[in-house]
Amino acid sequence: MSAESASAIQRSQVDLVDFVDWSGVECLNQNSSHSLPNALKQGYREDDGLNLESDADEQLLIYIPFTQVVKLYSVVVQGPEEEGPKTVKLFSNKEHMGFSNVNDFPPSDTAILSLDNLKGKPVGLKYVKFQNVRSLTIFIEDNQSGSDITKVQKIALFGTTVETTDMKGLKKIEDH
Amino acid sequence: MVLEATMICIDNSEWMRNGDYSPCRFQAQADAVNLICGAKTQSNPENTVGILTMAGRGVRVLTTPTTDLGKILACMHDVEMGGEMNMAAGIQVAQLALKHRQNKNQQQRIIVFAGSPVKYDKRVLEVIGKTLKKNSVALDIVNFGEEDGRKPEKLEALLSAVNNNDSSHIVHIPPGPNALSDVLISTPVLNGEGGGSDLPAAAGGNDFDFGVDPNLDPELALALRVSMEEERARQEAAAKRAAEESARQEKVEEPSSNSQDATMVDSADDRASEASGNNTDPVAITLSMQTPGHNDPSVHDVDMSEATHEEEELAIALQMSMKDESDMSKVLEDQSFVSSVLASLPGVDPNDPSVKDLLASLQGQSESEQKKKEDEPPNDEK
Repeated sequence: MSAESASAIQRSQVDLVDFVDWSGVECLNQNSSHSLPNALKQGYREDDGLNLESDADEQLLIYIPFTQVVKLYSVVVQGPEEEGPKTVKLFSNKEHMGFSNVNDFPPSDTAILSLDNLKGKPVGLKYVKFQNVRSLTIFIEDNQSGSDITKVQKIALFGTTVETTDMKGLKKIEDH
Repeated sequence: MVLEATMICIDNSEWMRNGDYSPCRFQAQADAVNLICGAKTQSNPENTVGILTMAGRGVRVLTTPTTDLGKILACMHDVEMGGEMNMAAGIQVAQLALKHRQNKNQQQRIIVFAGSPVKYDKRVLEVIGKTLKKNSVALDIVNFGEEDGRKPEKLEALLSAVNNNDSSHIVHIPPGPNALSDVLISTPVLNGEGGGSDLPAAAGGNDFDFGVDPNLDPELALALRVSMEEERARQEAAAKRAAEESARQEKVEEPSSNSQDATMVDSADDRASEASGNNTDPVAITLSMQTPGHNDPSVHDVDMSEATHEEEELAIALQMSMKDESDMSKVLEDQSFVSSVLASLPGVDPNDPSVKDLLASLQGQSESEQKKKEDEPPNDEK
């Protein structure tokens, strides 16, 4: 896990929020009034008042499928200093994980977020592990202060797309 | 109509031999289980139900979640009474069974029949509840049978630990003349969250207008909202004109009419009255009467067999285009939409002269063009 985030951003990165398949997005243990779109969606995530909050305890399990295959370069996770996430594990292409089996697999990458990261500094990822990502699972294991609720203001994913066909975009050629 | 996988935890302990529910607690419970299975599979054919027993020689899964009602009924037959109920283990095994369901899109639900005393601590139950909530499993508790002082309190604590947005329920059924299953029919355990029938406008369980989550489908939500606003504007204008034009009703003739337009106006009126399938609405008649004032194609008494959303939109667009006061921008934005919709409508041939002229009139929006339309030969498409 390297920290050359500056160079990563320069390499024509795209914010992958446009390629998220919203119908399949899931988040376990979220507080229903402070839900995942608050942190992930354009517009909502810029609003500091809207957070994603955890419910029964401090862990969160977020599943994000994409409409295309993507390569992931870096991730931005923003949150408050106290209740923001600390240990974040990323799993690529693992569907439908639960809290019980999340520790059975080695994560594709693990990030321990510093206060800088929580302010918006991107976390560079192990590039080789994220070449062929159809879906991403983000497991937030604990938060900075060890409180019962984890709050996340913004989650942004940066990378590029691999040119796969978006089935929804396929249109019939009109005969003239 | 929620897609759900349910695990029912049955209490088959010695306490179930008691006869305070007729014929005995166990039989009443079995009837209730059959009722629930039937209701779940009926509300959505893809729902699955599984059964496990909590007492006997230990927690045993009789069937994993399945859609096959016959299998479930067969399993209920073979259950024997004995031993003591182990509720904590039962719930945990149920959670595991749900985790390994085949269709991951199903919501997870556990229904527990608690007939014997609960020997667990409140705290243990709360921890279990929290784990269920964390994994988004809903829990329904049926408290019947044995009543000791602490039991309702413990079960309520379990419920509040699990409950997320009122998706979990608890039902207390004291012994009485009514069968267990009869009492259950009226409870949220069988009715789900939204209650029985939904109005088309109501969204069972959703907080959003039109039953569509803007997060899931923003374009659809936006389209629905826009069409509702257009509908409202049209309704206001229609109400205004109904008053104005009532005097002109005698002048109504029935010249050539594009029956396609007729059906579309009819269907739009159906929506206006918010009663599906009410084609002889007086509002519909008045609306159709007022159109001759602008030399529009008037309405036959055509019964609408289908009223598609597109046709209603087209009708709204037509209405607005015929209005002199209509907003130019609205017409323009409807025009391309109208032509694309027309092309996709069954039974409408875009090359049809009347349809073409109709389009031209939408664009031109001049009295002379409308008069020209009146002189057209009639065209019956339906």
